[in-house]
Amino acid sequence: MIAPLKQDALIATREAAARRFVLPTRRDEPWRFTDLRTLEKSLFPPAAPGADAPSAAVQAAYSSGAPAQRVVLVNGRVAAIQGAHVARLAERLELVREIDDLGPFAALNTAFVEDGIVISLPAGASERIEILHWGAAESAGAYTRVLVELGAGAEATLVESFAGTGNYFGNVIAAIRLGEKARLRHVTLQDEAGAAVHLGAVKADVAEGAEYEAFVLMLGARLSRHDLVACLGKGARCAINGAYLLRGQQEATIATFVDHAAPCAQTSEVVKGVVDDRAHGVFQGKIRVRSDAQKTDAHQLNRNLLLSPRAAVDTKPELEIYADDVKCSHGATVGDLDEAQLFYLRSRGIPEPEARRILVEAFAVDVVDLVADAPARDYLMRHLGRWLESGR
Amino acid sequence: MLSIKNLRAKVADGGREILKGIDLEVGPGEVHAIMGPNGSGKSTLAGVLAGRAGYEVSGTVTYDGRDLLAMSTDERARAGVFLAFQYPVEIPGVNNMYFLRAALNAVRRSRGESELDAGQFLKLVRQKLKLLEISDDLLQRPVNVGFSGGEKKRNEIFQMAMLEPKLAILDETDSGLDIDALRLVANGINKLRARDRSMVMITHYQRLLDYVEPNRVHVLSGGRIVASGDKSLALELEAKGYAGLEAA
Repeated sequence: MIAPLKQDALIATREAAARRFVLPTRRDEPWRFTDLRTLEKSLFPPAAPGADAPSAAVQAAYSSGAPAQRVVLVNGRVAAIQGAHVARLAERLELVREIDDLGPFAALNTAFVEDGIVISLPAGASERIEILHWGAAESAGAYTRVLVELGAGAEATLVESFAGTGNYFGNVIAAIRLGEKARLRHVTLQDEAGAAVHLGAVKADVAEGAEYEAFVLMLGARLSRHDLVACLGKGARCAINGAYLLRGQQEATIATFVDHAAPCAQTSEVVKGVVDDRAHGVFQGKIRVRSDAQKTDAHQLNRNLLLSPRAAVDTKPELEIYADDVKCSHGATVGDLDEAQLFYLRSRGIPEPEARRILVEAFAVDVVDLVADAPARDYLMRHLGRWLESGR
Repeated sequence: MLSIKNLRAKVADGGREILKGIDLEVGPGEVHAIMGPNGSGKSTLAGVLAGRAGYEVSGTVTYDGRDLLAMSTDERARAGVFLAFQYPVEIPGVNNMYFLRAALNAVRRSRGESELDAGQFLKLVRQKLKLLEISDDLLQRPVNVGFSGGEKKRNEIFQMAMLEPKLAILDETDSGLDIDALRLVANGINKLRARDRSMVMITHYQRLLDYVEPNRVHVLSGGRIVASGDKSLALELEAKGYAGLEAA
C-alpha cells in the first residue's frame, strides 16, 4: 500500500521502515480487540502542503490559556512555532529514527514523516509548551513526530491537542527521554474530526528518579488508538491516567505498557471509559516487573460505564511480575449507571437525561481530577463539559 | 391532597404481592403516621408513591387532582411530592450544593419560575440552614458520601426545606438516630409543617410521634391498613405491640 516515499536524506531509513510495515490484524495480540476493518482504506499518503491554519477562535478553544510556548501544526507540518527550546523537525530530520517497540504505525510514520517538533530542555530548565495538531484534509494523512528531551532536573508541561476537519488519517509518534530527576507532565486531548482516524503512540524513557505524568482524554475520531510505552529507571515515577468518551459508532483504544526494569519505581494508572450508543472502547494495559525491579509499586485500574445496550468494552489489565518483593495490583470493571443513584436524583425533580448526565460527569471528572496542573485540568474539564452537553 | 384507593403492588415479574389494597385519604396540611411491623409494606408504599421501579402497581392514587401513578418519578417531584429516603443514596463525585441547585432549578423551571443563580441560591441555602439550625458542613461534600446516619437524615430534611413540597413522605426518618439527632430532625419537620403541606410519616416506633404530633395514625400490617385512629392509637400500639393489635 505504501505510496511513493519522499526522496530525501532519510530515504534509506524510509524504505526500510516501509518494508517493515504490515497492517495489523486481530491475530496480533496487541490489536486483538480493536476493530480495524475500516482502517486499510484510511491509510492515506501525506497531505500536500498549503492547508490553512486554524482560525484564532479554534486556536483559543484548543488552548489552556496559560502562558506557554505555542506551536501549531497543520497536517503534520509546522505552521507556527515559538520558544528557545523548541525547533522544527524538518530542519533536524537526521533525528528521525525507527522506534522499534511502538508497532507498525511507528514504521509507517518513519516512512512518511516530514515535519514535527523537537523539544530539548537543558538540565535544570523549566518550560510550558502547548501544541495544536490541526488536521484539515480529505483523504490525506498527517504524519507527525514529536521528540522531547529533558536534561537532568529539567521540568516541562506539554499540552498536546488534536483536532481538525475532514476524513484525514492522523499519525503521531512521540519519543520522550527524561534525564535523571527530570519531570514531564504530558497532557493529550484527542478531539479529532468525527470522520478522522487517529493513531498515536508515545515511547517514554524515564531515567533514575525522573517523573513522567501522562493524561490522555479521547473524545474524537471515528477510529482512534493511543499507545503508551514507558521504561522506568531506578526510583522513577510514572502516572498514566486517562479516559475515552465515545458515542455513535466510535472505536477507541488506550493501550499501555510500563516496563519496570530497575528497582523502587512506581506506576499508578487509572483509565476510565464512558461508552454510549454503538461505540466500542478498548483498554489494554500491561505492567512488567523484571526480576531486578524489587520494591516496585505498581497499580492499574480500568473502569467503564456502558450507557447503552449496544455499547461495548473490552478490557485487559495485565501484570507480569518476575520480582518477589513488590506491591502490585490491577483491576477492571464494566457497569451501567447506578439505578439507585438515578432514582435518588430523579426523586428530587431532576429530569432523567440531566440525572444521567450528572452521573456520567461525576464518573469522568473523578479521573480528570488527577491532572495536577490546574490550567490543563480546567482545559480538559471544558472539553469534557462540551462532550456531555453535545449528547443531550 | 392525596387520595389512595385500593392500591396494590407486586414485585415485578411475578413476585409476591406486598400491598394488598390500601385506602388512604390525606387532607391538605395534615400529618399522617403510618406504623407497622417489619415486612408490612411501609417502605413499598413510600417507594410506590415516589415512583420507584420494580413493582407492578394497580389501584388509583390521586394527588392534587392528578393521576400520580401515570407520572414519572421526576414529574412527581416537580409537582411537589418529596420522599425522604430511609437509606439516602451516596453519590460520589456529585457535590451536594450542585445537586440541590440542579434539583431546585428543575422544580422552578417546571413551575415557570426563573432559575436561581449561584448567589440567589446560596442566600436561600443560608435561610433554610438557619431555620433548621443545622451547620453548613455537609454542603461542600459529595451527596451523602461519608455522612453519618444522622447527617444523612438531616440532609434529607434540608432538601425538603429547599424544595418546599406539597406532599412529603418520610420513610423511617427516625431510624438509626440517637435521641439528640432525633430531636433535631423532628424540630426540622415541625418547622416545615404548613397549611399547604401534607406529610405521611412512616415509622416503626412511637417515639417520633412524641415530637411530631400526627393528625391521624394508621397501622399497616400484611399489606393492608388494619387500624386507623388518632394519636392515642400509637400509644395503644406501644403498650400492646403489633401482635396485640392484630389479635384484637
